Amino acid sequence: MRRSRRERRRERATLRALTSSALALFGAAGRASADTAIDHIETSYSFSTYSEDKLESSKTLPGGERTRYEISTQQASLAAPITDWFDMSMQLTHETMSGASPWYNTQDAAGTPIQIMSGATIQDTRNDLALHGNYYTEQGRLGFGGGYSTENDYTAMNFGTDGELHFNEKNTTLSGGLGLSLDTLTPTDSDLYPLRPKEESKQSYSTFVGLGQIINRRSLIQGSFSYKWDKGYLSDPYKEVFRIGDHHYGDDRGGSRHQFAFLVRYNRHIEETESTIHLSYQYYLDTWGVSSHMAELDWYQNFGDAIQIAPHVRYYSQTAADFYIPYLRLKQIPQPGTRMSSDYRLSAYGALSFGVKGEYAFHTPWFRDIEWRAHLSVERYLSSGDLSLSAVSVPAPGLVSFTVLSAGLAVVF
Amino acid sequence: MRVSRGVGVLALAIASLFSQSGCATLGQTWDDWFGEMKLPDFPAFDEYTESPKSYVEIALEHDFLVRVKPWERSVLARHDMAWDPDELEAARRSHTFFSKEATMPGGSAGGGGCGCN
Repeated sequence: MRRSRRERRRERATLRALTSSALALFGAAGRASADTAIDHIETSYSFSTYSEDKLESSKTLPGGERTRYEISTQQASLAAPITDWFDMSMQLTHETMSGASPWYNTQDAAGTPIQIMSGATIQDTRNDLALHGNYYTEQGRLGFGGGYSTENDYTAMNFGTDGELHFNEKNTTLSGGLGLSLDTLTPTDSDLYPLRPKEESKQSYSTFVGLGQIINRRSLIQGSFSYKWDKGYLSDPYKEVFRIGDHHYGDDRGGSRHQFAFLVRYNRHIEETESTIHLSYQYYLDTWGVSSHMAELDWYQNFGDAIQIAPHVRYYSQTAADFYIPYLRLKQIPQPGTRMSSDYRLSAYGALSFGVKGEYAFHTPWFRDIEWRAHLSVERYLSSGDLSLSAVSVPAPGLVSFTVLSAGLAVVF
Repeated sequence: MRVSRGVGVLALAIASLFSQSGCATLGQTWDDWFGEMKLPDFPAFDEYTESPKSYVEIALEHDFLVRVKPWERSVLARHDMAWDPDELEAARRSHTFFSKEATMPGGSAGGGGCGCN
């Protein structure tokens, strides 16, 4: 009797499990069990739209621009085994962005900060290519990769290497990596806006180390510490700080930022209900004075082999950067070289996001050996001062809320 | 003659029934069955009380830390037990949060920058 593709795949998964630590940490393809090269070709495509809510009329000048950003994203990936101990993967991203973005703040009659948007004239596309290769040995994995991302006004090149070492009979995995990103900014319309630089550059050096442990046959835990040093032009060339009385200053965040992140992730499968829970928590700290907490719960509920419904909820809260200022008062004249930014992303706020994803796995009557997985997902993100862990007296007027819709198809050969 | 053939067939049928039901007495003896099992060697009492080794060392030496054997990992190898079951979605969400929040995503090194308005 001919066995179904699914049965054979399950067998293969079991076979893989026999040789796997099921603990891969951050492979290019984000696979969990990775101490052998992947054994099949997998390709996927996804289309998503990101749209930000209109700015509330009370948070800008009457008649001011209120529409915000829209992004449509297309992603494609391909992962393939090259030999038994070597595999490669590739990810392509194409994004088109349009709309208006927060420019600077001023105050209304009551002295509350209000947001002034740029005109809805931004039109940009971003193309991103990322490549990653993995070399596997008995004791671990060595990965290397690079990427190139280009926009009209921004080019980024990155290189990285990462690896894993298994020990304790492959129940414990030590992982680590090093990364480097070289970015070049060429802000548009710098001749029209004298505060914008013509060309600037930025470098990022990053590293992480993580430890993963199999707790028992249905749960895993992993902790990691990441560090990144950003150096160079870190300001936002499209944002300004407004001093009441019609004077504008350029966004200035200084030339260095050290960032530290501690992340803990826990996965557990519940066989009785066919569900898998993912829990994660991250604490973040940087030398700009920002600290943040992030907690997320993902619930993957399976209904048989074909259908999976996965709701998730994520909470985030950050403190403001030391130099965040909505606007300067009339007599507040900054010394040259003073760091300051009116960017709402550097203000104190909290955010709640929730969403659900449905996935359907199927086979067609032809090419029965190929497995298809189609998904649809929606995510809603809300941010406000009220959601912050610490009290925020004057929340930034530009805080964003957005909705992401996504559809995709993955093919496993 | 005919009767004895009938008995033979019956005996065969019964034997095949038992062999299918996994009766170990047919073909294999109980002794063999247990002979393949290896009982763990429990350490002598003295090793706990008189050894200068730490408890961690003792635990490691005697395999007391729970280790999941390779053949017990079918659940851990599930697709939804991956840290990021959908890599494209994970990349997109990570990029979105990175560009809208003042926090870098942990657990990895590198990644491309962006203008991110």
